[in-house]
Amino acid sequence: MLQGKLTSLVLNILILAVVFVMAFPIVWIVMNSFKEAADINAYPPVFVFDSTLENYKVLFDIADAEATNYGTLKVEFFKPVINSLVISVGAVLLSLVAGVPAGYALARYNFRGKEDLAFFVLGFRFAPVLLVVIPIFQFFQVIGLYDSYLGMIWVYQLITLPMIIWLCRSYVEDIPVEIEEAAAICGAKRPQIMLQVVLPLLRTGLVGASLLVFLLAWHNFALGLILTADKTPVPVALLKLLNPGISFYPVVSAGLVISMIVPIGLIILGQRHLERGLTFGALK
Amino acid sequence: MVNEGVKKSRSNRTFLLISILPAILILGGFVLMLFWGFYQSLTDMRFGRTRVDFEGFGNYAYLFGRGRFWDSVSLTTTFAFTAVACEAVLGLAIAKLFNTKALLANWCRPVMLLPLVLPPLSVALMWTTMMNPESGVLNYFLGFIGVDNFSWISKADTALLAVVFIDVWTYTPFFALIIFAGLRGISPEILEAARMNGAKAWGLFFRIELPMVLPYIILAALFRLIDSLNQFDIIFGTTQGGPGNATNVLSISAYFTAFQNLQFGRGAAIMIMNWLVVLVSALVMVKLWRYTRDRVS
Repeated sequence: MLQGKLTSLVLNILILAVVFVMAFPIVWIVMNSFKEAADINAYPPVFVFDSTLENYKVLFDIADAEATNYGTLKVEFFKPVINSLVISVGAVLLSLVAGVPAGYALARYNFRGKEDLAFFVLGFRFAPVLLVVIPIFQFFQVIGLYDSYLGMIWVYQLITLPMIIWLCRSYVEDIPVEIEEAAAICGAKRPQIMLQVVLPLLRTGLVGASLLVFLLAWHNFALGLILTADKTPVPVALLKLLNPGISFYPVVSAGLVISMIVPIGLIILGQRHLERGLTFGALK
Repeated sequence: MVNEGVKKSRSNRTFLLISILPAILILGGFVLMLFWGFYQSLTDMRFGRTRVDFEGFGNYAYLFGRGRFWDSVSLTTTFAFTAVACEAVLGLAIAKLFNTKALLANWCRPVMLLPLVLPPLSVALMWTTMMNPESGVLNYFLGFIGVDNFSWISKADTALLAVVFIDVWTYTPFFALIIFAGLRGISPEILEAARMNGAKAWGLFFRIELPMVLPYIILAALFRLIDSLNQFDIIFGTTQGGPGNATNVLSISAYFTAFQNLQFGRGAAIMIMNWLVVLVSALVMVKLWRYTRDRVS
């Protein structure tokens, strides 16, 4: 009995250790983002400090320039946040419009080359993004899509569309085909069946898939780095924050927190979906 | 009647075409770009110069003759295989830990999602600040166990270790969650029967649990290996390939060749080689996966 209690104590302590390793860096960055510059560079590191919002004010350019340590340096982080939101939401919406019907067709129709097509879609998971980006860069320069929302939304389909098709296909396969047959007997046509019978049944699944795919779009760095100058998404803007060459860590910490708030908010919204999506959703 | 059947199947076919065409057009564009990229790798294309000469495999021959290229190949594979091996072992241990009846196990599991949902570039920058040799919090903790001034990403001989460490921190939960699901999937009857036959905890683990979750581990390793062999964000956000060439993996090398030296053709050739490394590694893993899966069933 005593031994059982001891093991359970040890196990709980080990679990806490794992939780500490996973969560501490994030807690630390959040703390840093509220510190003054002197406290951030202090060694040994300070865990108790007077908190300030100055870093966030500089980040969003609402601080009085003279009052900060950074003089007249201007940072505008609102724009990258808006860019990331527009591109990611746009990419998810386009993927849903193009991907849901395709996923449905792959689940319900039998046609020649169907499995090849499914494999082709899955193959994008293995596509070398950088290799595709070099030609896209030149192509965009020529047709004027470089540094545009439209171009970025199309390029993000490389990541979002295959995932939506794949997840949607597996969700449709989980719906009993009898429901659709019943609707067909009642005289409903295919498009009608899809819009009025299947789509409502897919709703929860698609919400989860959209969250997951939005997250992947939010993460992306390489595409924005190469294909934008002004419409930079958040991760690229973060890296640019480091460029001024002065000790900018406090403001970068605030930027990091902003880049992390959105995904952490998504965990709270859809933990179950994300857990499945980030692991098996990708494998299935 | 017959007529109606034909008509119906035709409208069905139109519907099929309409539903699948947009996706094919969007994805097909990328395939065209992929082929174009391969063609570029056979030319001496430079950005900003209109003249492009076809060179055959000139870029490849150039790469094969350079020690730096082979350094990049070995860095890429060392980075990926080390990271994935560590992630698999740690992930297995953590999955076992969270599969116990400990009070906190169920409660704390969502915390494992944290590293997975953060943008990899943010993760890289976050660790860069913590890995500062002079004022970083990581060396402060290491000071407690008697390690002083570990150089992390600032010196060539520890930089690779540091970026592997960041990859491991980020993606160990990926393994842990998948293996956890695998462990949950083992039917309690099998474990109970083995226990009745007198199997001890370790025997249970090595004889039953491990072989049954092995296909999961290898599948997870396959996916992680592909991503780690292509890893760009974490290394670009921390070392950008340096110090010196200590972390100059193929993807980083391709980026700088193409977008800093503006040698698009050669950059594309490096990416093609990176892709081949990924392809070969993936094929080996798939073989391994088939083998372990067949043994289980």
